[in-house]
Amino acid sequence: MKRTLVVMLSLILVLVVAVPFFGQTYDPMKFKSSKPQSAWKIALVPKDATNAWFVRMEQGVKRYAKDTGINVFQKGPPKTDAAMQAQVIEDMIAQGVDAICVVPVDPAALEPVLGQALSKGIVVIDHEGSSQQNCLYDIEAFSNQGLGAALMQVLAKSMGEKGTYTTMVGNVTNASHNEWADAAVAYQKAKYPSMTLLAAEPRVEIMDNLDTAYQRAKELFKKYPALKGVLGTSSLSTPGTARAIEELGLKGKAFVTSVGMPNENAPFIKRGTVDAVMLWDSAEAGYAMLAAAVAVLKGDKVANGIDLKAKGWNSMQFAPGSTKVLLGQSWINITKANVDSFGF
Amino acid sequence: MKKDQNLARLLVMLAVVFALMAALRPGQFVTMANFGSMMRQFPEYGIMAIGISLTMITGGIDLGVVGTANLSAILAAKLLIGAVPRGAPPEQALPFVALAALLALACGLACGAFAGLLISRFKIPAILATLGTQQLYTGIAIGITNGRPQSGLPLLYSNLGNTEFLGLFPLSFLIFLLAALAIGLMLSRARFGTCMYMLGTNPKAAQYAGLGNASILVRTYMLSGLLSSVAGLIMMARANSAKAEYGTPYTLQCVLIAVLGGIDPNGGFGKIAGVTLAVFILQFLSSGLNMFNSISNFYRDVIWGGVLILALVVNSLLARREARLAVRRGARATRA
Repeated sequence: MKRTLVVMLSLILVLVVAVPFFGQTYDPMKFKSSKPQSAWKIALVPKDATNAWFVRMEQGVKRYAKDTGINVFQKGPPKTDAAMQAQVIEDMIAQGVDAICVVPVDPAALEPVLGQALSKGIVVIDHEGSSQQNCLYDIEAFSNQGLGAALMQVLAKSMGEKGTYTTMVGNVTNASHNEWADAAVAYQKAKYPSMTLLAAEPRVEIMDNLDTAYQRAKELFKKYPALKGVLGTSSLSTPGTARAIEELGLKGKAFVTSVGMPNENAPFIKRGTVDAVMLWDSAEAGYAMLAAAVAVLKGDKVANGIDLKAKGWNSMQFAPGSTKVLLGQSWINITKANVDSFGF
Repeated sequence: MKKDQNLARLLVMLAVVFALMAALRPGQFVTMANFGSMMRQFPEYGIMAIGISLTMITGGIDLGVVGTANLSAILAAKLLIGAVPRGAPPEQALPFVALAALLALACGLACGAFAGLLISRFKIPAILATLGTQQLYTGIAIGITNGRPQSGLPLLYSNLGNTEFLGLFPLSFLIFLLAALAIGLMLSRARFGTCMYMLGTNPKAAQYAGLGNASILVRTYMLSGLLSSVAGLIMMARANSAKAEYGTPYTLQCVLIAVLGGIDPNGGFGKIAGVTLAVFILQFLSSGLNMFNSISNFYRDVIWGGVLILALVVNSLLARREARLAVRRGARATRA
């Protein structure tokens, strides 16, 4: 009995040593495919199969298939869940795909299964997962600095480059929202000297809630008559603040912009209360991920300036100090001219 | 007799699903790679489904399995991350891995015992009590982690957890088989198993027979908790991390597996062999459906739900027909 136990344990230990270690680095150039392009199969695994954002992404995938003739498809878990996403990737590996593009629910939870994919020679491309270790490249739509500056450009134009403004974030604990807002403020200080940040309340929190955004904006405009602009990060900042602007009769005198969804903001944009909101398009992101995977399979060198053939993804730059994370400039200004062209 | 027919039906279903997938996707479905992949996927929810099945046999239900699994895994992860320095050699990590596993199992037992006490002592309906415990355990897990994934486990743990025996059978699959076998034997051979069936069939009668309902219930939910914590340890190895919300959609899936596997939601009937077959059927379907690029993701849920409802309806119709036949047989016997 004791002997079998010892044998079992040593067997386990031997196997453990034999299992490839996670977290090793891979050379992307070694992932060049020897198969003809027509035999390639590339899967894109989104966070959730039925979420509107990823349904839109699938349109980019379909467009890529049409443009290139390569067998690409999207397969996601039925619910946004890290464990279920790992299972879909597991299935994709078993099917023998040549590349996996993934938008991770939780990068940490996917490390083992993506490590397994890489060790089998499958190309792994991430999106919105800059902390992922087991991927060849992670492509991001934009840098936080880039988006912050772009938001400030919109607000400054609306405000005539002068007057008092404040920033509005979804939650003060949300890291990326704060980085966008910080970048916007830094950009204003460098470029628009006649604009000033509202010193009493430089960062307003709306708890990612439309009604809170409306209430807070109404309060702010009443309390600080000099306030002329709100730069939001959450997509709910603009519809909430724009409603307050209209109700207080400040249309044309006070302005707002933020990241935003077209349909949600269409009425305000059409009435001229809001000049523009910003968005990036998941269809383009999907297209760009596939282009990145194909570049690796072809054996192309991925370097600064690489063109991933999607709008705003034409000149990718590595993030400072990284050889993995690539940043694009993929935001769109949604204005009166194009607000109805998105279908969401 | 009746239960064997149920097993036969499940076997036919399994064969039909297998044949269908094998016929439509021969180069992909019937491959070692696919079977290896499926064997890595189902143990985590299969083991929780066995746990839920046990509680359903006693006429209850345990909706707290996923919460228990995650809380146990998080405690184990916290211990491992705290005790083992990064990059420590395997020999140094091994005792802590064992300790962490024990801690997780103890947490599972405690979680189950608490649910069992709520149900047996405070007479709270199982569905409500465990809805509460699910919320509570997930809440505690979120609280002690701030909702963040606990990563940075020693390499040894995920390597152990992802070990494949003979280069084919993942450790988690063997654990699943062992659990299914042990629980199956317990139900059919052990006195405790018989007590569970009797309690599930008629709690009043069981009480008057002096079986000690409260103790049976507490022990049943402890077993369910124990199995959940095993599932939690497996999920932790697969994800190389633990998080309060991993696998949340598994709860419903496990209930459906139990019912599909022939566990009577009213208690008293059902076998683990049936549950195991149901787990296989669902995994075949799930992995198979992922091979059809043209089936839109929107239809996945439709197919999934459709198969389950069909199985339930067939089960119910057949059960009714059997009941009618039994009545007729009875009538004939009386005439004769």
